[in-house]
Amino acid sequence: MADPLVEVQNVWKRFGRQWVLRDLSLAVERGEVVALLGPNGVGKTTLLRVIATLIRPQRGTVRLFGRPARALEAERGRIALVANPPAFYRHLSGEENLEQALALAGKPISRAQALEAMGRVGLPEGRTVAAYSSGMRKRLALARTLLARPRLLLLDEPETALDTGGREELVRVIGEVAREGAVVLATHDHGFAAEVATRSFAMEGRA
Amino acid sequence: MRALVLALRDLRLEWRGRAGLLSAFSFIAVVLFIMGIAFGPDEANLRRAGPGVLWVALAFAGSMLASRAWALEVENETLDDLLLTPGSREWIYVGKLLFLWLLMIVMGAFLLVLVAAWFYLPLAAWPQLFVTLVLGGTGYTVIAAFYAGLTVRLRARDVLLYLLVFPMILPVVLAAVKATLGIAFGAEFAEIVSWWKLLGVFDVVYLTLCVLLFPGVIEG
Repeated sequence: MADPLVEVQNVWKRFGRQWVLRDLSLAVERGEVVALLGPNGVGKTTLLRVIATLIRPQRGTVRLFGRPARALEAERGRIALVANPPAFYRHLSGEENLEQALALAGKPISRAQALEAMGRVGLPEGRTVAAYSSGMRKRLALARTLLARPRLLLLDEPETALDTGGREELVRVIGEVAREGAVVLATHDHGFAAEVATRSFAMEGRA
Repeated sequence: MRALVLALRDLRLEWRGRAGLLSAFSFIAVVLFIMGIAFGPDEANLRRAGPGVLWVALAFAGSMLASRAWALEVENETLDDLLLTPGSREWIYVGKLLFLWLLMIVMGAFLLVLVAAWFYLPLAAWPQLFVTLVLGGTGYTVIAAFYAGLTVRLRARDVLLYLLVFPMILPVVLAAVKATLGIAFGAEFAEIVSWWKLLGVFDVVYLTLCVLLFPGVIEG
């Protein structure tokens, strides 16, 4: 049997003296969409960042694509993390942000490809991100995900601020990534989790 | 190549925002104005103080710009995206260093002209002054870009940056001031070259160490 795409084993993470994750274990197989559910402060975002190798747990191990997460220099480009709100350069336009992000990830794209992806998610060209609404930023993050084609997509409250059309596009993108990889998303919306996730993972406790 | 893309993008962002550049250039103008009044109007005094004023102004303004280079990522909350790019992370440091270096050289050239006008620095020796600027500026930016990256996630980063950078760059500033003084007072060329060699050694050693250490210090 193939290794899980994500394997978190007995992870403990604290900030200062406050433990946020306590002995947490989770495995995500290829093709799965796992929804992390739980109240504010329970550690959903922290878990996403631990999986993304952005923060190191005090104890426990994280394996991605069958290998220790810390040894994944080349494969890091196969992981995409969409924060809430998604991060972009405010003084660059949407298409410039896409071009820059992909160029720095070692997957350069043309202006036409950037505009095509923006068109698909219903974004106009030529506007700086500073003038974007929250929903437009989420749509731009979807466009970036479409272009980056990650194997592992980590989403932090992806459904917030999206209108019906944006939400439908989000569901489509999640489905596309999950066909060849896996998606882990943190959400408070049980209805959305039921709509897109193949499995829910309830996180409990107090941060 | 990715380092160059990053440096050019940061230049574009800085040009569009202009906050860092405006602060640095305003700071330089104020420092020169105050120092000019403090040391003036005697020509000999001004000539003697010129090289020191040049490098002190450049060092403080450089720290402001170094902080700015990483603040672009903090303001836009994009540091995570940079850290998620594939491959080892030295290129992120090299990109930030390149961005800072270009700004420092432009700012240094501008400062040279101002100091020459006010503090009687001989601009006829501009090739030698420029070599000193490049060698001193490189040593300074190598250290400043490294520590600015090291402290980028800390709330007290602006204070810490000055505390960490200035002890480390003392040899660079001293050697650069000595070389500039030599040029201003017509010292033997061999003496100036000896300071350049020292600056060159600092540049190579600091650059090698910072590139090697950076991937470890930027991890969360």
